[in-house]
Amino acid sequence: MGKDGYRSPQTGGVLDRIAPVVTLIGALLSTAGFVLAFTLAGPVNGATVNGVEVIGGEMVSNQLLFSQKIFYFHMPVAVTSMVMIGFVAYFGIRFLQTRDAAWDERARIAAGIALLFVLATMFTGEMWERFEWGVWWTWEPRLTTYFILMLLVFAYFVMRASFDEPERRATFASVYGIVMFIDVPITFAITRIVPSSVHPTIFRTDSGLSPDMLLPLLLSLFGMLCIAYGLFRLRLRAQELDERVEHIKEQLDEA
Amino acid sequence: MARASIKKPSTFAQYRTLLAKDLRREFRTKEMLTAMGIYALLVLVVYGAALSQTSNQFDILQMAAGLLWALVVFTSLLGLNRSFAHEQENACLEGILLVPLDRSVVFLAKATSNLIFLVVVEIVVLPLFYFFFLTTTQPADTWPLIWLPLLVGTVGIAGIGTLLATITVNSRGKDVLLAVLFIPLVFPLLYACVAASTVVLAGGDVEGVFGNSLLLAGGYDVVMVLLSWVLYDYVISA
Repeated sequence: MGKDGYRSPQTGGVLDRIAPVVTLIGALLSTAGFVLAFTLAGPVNGATVNGVEVIGGEMVSNQLLFSQKIFYFHMPVAVTSMVMIGFVAYFGIRFLQTRDAAWDERARIAAGIALLFVLATMFTGEMWERFEWGVWWTWEPRLTTYFILMLLVFAYFVMRASFDEPERRATFASVYGIVMFIDVPITFAITRIVPSSVHPTIFRTDSGLSPDMLLPLLLSLFGMLCIAYGLFRLRLRAQELDERVEHIKEQLDEA
Repeated sequence: MARASIKKPSTFAQYRTLLAKDLRREFRTKEMLTAMGIYALLVLVVYGAALSQTSNQFDILQMAAGLLWALVVFTSLLGLNRSFAHEQENACLEGILLVPLDRSVVFLAKATSNLIFLVVVEIVVLPLFYFFFLTTTQPADTWPLIWLPLLVGTVGIAGIGTLLATITVNSRGKDVLLAVLFIPLVFPLLYACVAASTVVLAGGDVEGVFGNSLLLAGGYDVVMVLLSWVLYDYVISA
């Protein structure tokens, strides 16, 4: 469209052909990570409490935390959601460069999958909070910034719904997708900026994770990323097929 | 032979003209300023009711900055909604866009005028806030520093708000949409500014918290205003 050498992104190529396989691999990897989290990774000491307290209906002084297993699901899902929001911003930039509706469609689908992973993160995070920290909600820095990230993704869809013209909607959504991405590095870095945060800093060379914990974590992480990729391509393909069916229907109506 | 010459006005002259237009319009009609001022006063009245059952020893100082920022955010939402409403009448915005000028100048002019109106409202509201809620308390000696977080926060609010108001002015249900888009986006800024304002009002680790929070808020401002500035061309041409 316009620019020399620019090709509109296509579906049906090799990226789509590998999608089912990648999804399957992702499912296997994350399942393996899930199983290993219970078998290989050792139990973890909970935060020490003064004397004895009731957390989750149990008297606790310093129990070996079973709820810590949520971590092997929680963190990979959270990272995947942030990666997907990064793709929303990337597709937004591509749309503004090329004005090709195909990029906007990709941004919308990526945002949908980001929403799925964001909700999964919030849900597992909520379980974590209840059983690890003993509260339903606290305005802890990372929790707050991630909550804001969820609201931003909601806002992205609310915004898309309030414009009718496709071109205008695509432009505004792209701009908001790019601006929205600012919260991702903030959420990522907040545990470094505000040291009082309860969340540990995982991404560092001495992350404090022993190999038996790191293996299930990495398996889950790559598994979740593969699943996100597979879902994205399959959803995109379904969307294109939908449009083709609509197109054929219109032609039949005219005939 | 005399040659006709048309001098292209400088970017700064364009900026000044657009800004002067906004200011002149506002100081003639006083539409936005009165609306925002009265709204802010009403929020204070609501605070009065909300806090009426608290005791005299109630630690209002710790809460004061937070309440003040809630007031600023909601008042600015009201003002930002209005800032583009009158540009739509008689296709004024199309008129501005017909002029061969850099679109980012429109953004800078609009953001500046929004900033000025917000600052005017804050200058009125701050003494009122003190009068209603803080006369019985003893603010920390550092309280005059509160202008710094207020200014930094207001710059960010005006910057992001101008970008988002341009988007929402074309939408259905624009008031609600602006709030939905705006509040999550300014949240980090709000958080940092509340921290900085609270510490100067109520005392505490002024050097550590104040400096860090202000640095965060300032960094957020720079990133957001630059991003809005770059993206404004796409938004206003859509």
